[in-house]
Amino acid sequence: MVRNIGPGVSPDTDPDRQPPGRSLPAALLRRGVTWLRQPLAAPPPALRRGPLKRGVFHSRLRSPTLTSLLGLALAGAFTVCFATGLISHLIQHPPLWFWWPARPVGLYRVTQGMHVATGLASVPLLGAKLWSVYPRLFSWPPARNRAHALERASLAVLVAAGLFQLVSGVLNSSRWYAPMPFFFTAGHYWSAWLAIGALIVHIGMKLPIIRPALTRATPDRTAPGGLNRRGLLATVGAAAGVITLATLGQTVAPLAGVSVLAPRRPRTGPQHLPVNKTAAAAGVRDDPSYRLTVAGPARTVSLSLADLAALPQHTVVLPISCVEGWSSTGTWTGVRLRDLVALAGVDADDAEAYVESREARGRYRATTVPPPHTRDPFTLIALRLGGEPLHPDHGYPARLIAPNRPGVLQTKWVARITARSGS
Amino acid sequence: MKTARRCLVAVGVVVMTYAVLGALTDVDVKIGALIFLAGVLVAHDGLLLPLTIGVGVLVGRHTPRRVQAPVRAALAISFAVTIVALPLVLGRGRTADNPSQLPLHYGRGLLAIYAIIWTTAAVAAGALALRDRRRLATPPDPE
Repeated sequence: MVRNIGPGVSPDTDPDRQPPGRSLPAALLRRGVTWLRQPLAAPPPALRRGPLKRGVFHSRLRSPTLTSLLGLALAGAFTVCFATGLISHLIQHPPLWFWWPARPVGLYRVTQGMHVATGLASVPLLGAKLWSVYPRLFSWPPARNRAHALERASLAVLVAAGLFQLVSGVLNSSRWYAPMPFFFTAGHYWSAWLAIGALIVHIGMKLPIIRPALTRATPDRTAPGGLNRRGLLATVGAAAGVITLATLGQTVAPLAGVSVLAPRRPRTGPQHLPVNKTAAAAGVRDDPSYRLTVAGPARTVSLSLADLAALPQHTVVLPISCVEGWSSTGTWTGVRLRDLVALAGVDADDAEAYVESREARGRYRATTVPPPHTRDPFTLIALRLGGEPLHPDHGYPARLIAPNRPGVLQTKWVARITARSGS
Repeated sequence: MKTARRCLVAVGVVVMTYAVLGALTDVDVKIGALIFLAGVLVAHDGLLLPLTIGVGVLVGRHTPRRVQAPVRAALAISFAVTIVALPLVLGRGRTADNPSQLPLHYGRGLLAIYAIIWTTAAVAAGALALRDRRRLATPPDPE
């Protein structure tokens, strides 16, 4: 990039003439900065048409103060979404340094519920924020210099990634994947990093505008009778509130009655619990000769459903918390995972279990239960839900249910457990 | 402030680079994500936002001044709720074997929300009109 410098470089950045003691990298950096800041020729005025003309947008509601207030709220919302989303990602793809506790049992239910609720409430926030700066899209000249062009490109990335997150999130919670020509989880994850990076750049670039806009008193210039700044902020807040009330019942059961736009009802489904993947969709059929294999380094045991039912049974009340934002509490009865791990001859206090489904394919057909969850007495290979044998769609004959874990990791139709030492 | 700004921009650029490299090396992302990224930007800035501003201009021209604020607020809230509700109303995520997925009548739910929004807006507009009339009826205090 630096090599492309034209003849218009000022003499003091020329490395050949650098004063003694100034290093070459510093000189190159200066040269680069000069190149970036060199004014660009403005396009011919004849091109300045339509929205590019002066005075096309005339709402007096737009102001740096309004934009900064909306931006501040949006930055907060995006930070919550990023942090909670990252937690969910790390639980599902844990690097070596990551550790996630088994208690409190409903922690993931809260973080993921917040992730989805905050994302949905951001829809009116992002809409209002982008409306407030829309005229800037048509500022003239389009780029004063190369640095300005780069900043505008990073803004396009920020807006695109922000929209990507909200649109793909809304589509995912309504399970409509056809408009997304990529694997949702991966696209949503990398676009989140893109959005948060572009957001940090944006705050850095705009700090000289944001600071005075938020600290100095700026008069509202809207005409009396119309929608003023306070009115608009209240409108955005009301829209976020309506959306939240209309959807939060998918995880906060008492709100289910008013949440007319909830993609799930916590009590709707077989045995009063929603289902994500049915037995038919997973290609799992009832098998009378079913046996659960529990393998350890010392020995391997094979258990029929009757053998499992003869082992000590425990009942726990645990939520299923889906990554899509819904959750529901069930009363599960079955065998403790730690008891099965001990049967295979592994010390249950320091063990992890690799749990595989009878499902032949699928990204979530197997999961590793880490030591905190394997040793937890609440972690069951459940045989019953609400006192009845599991419905096939809930994983009959046996499923994993552990505290504080995403629903996709609560393996259904368990066929094999491989126990190994946790350390 | 200059140092803080430089740090923010540098950190942001590093994070963005991580995102691009991560996406490029992830076999699940593919070119489709890039198309979607550009698509949502064009659809929003080229279609949705001009439409919103156009509706705002129409409200400015054809609505009495004193009810404009509640009308604009009600339109904005209705629009935001519609964006969230649309995939549910269309119901493309429904599957025959799983009735627990999208179990509600979302079109009806959306209409109920519109009814609440516009009733509230009408009450607000009525209250504003009443206040204006009272203000006109009683001459302002000479104080």
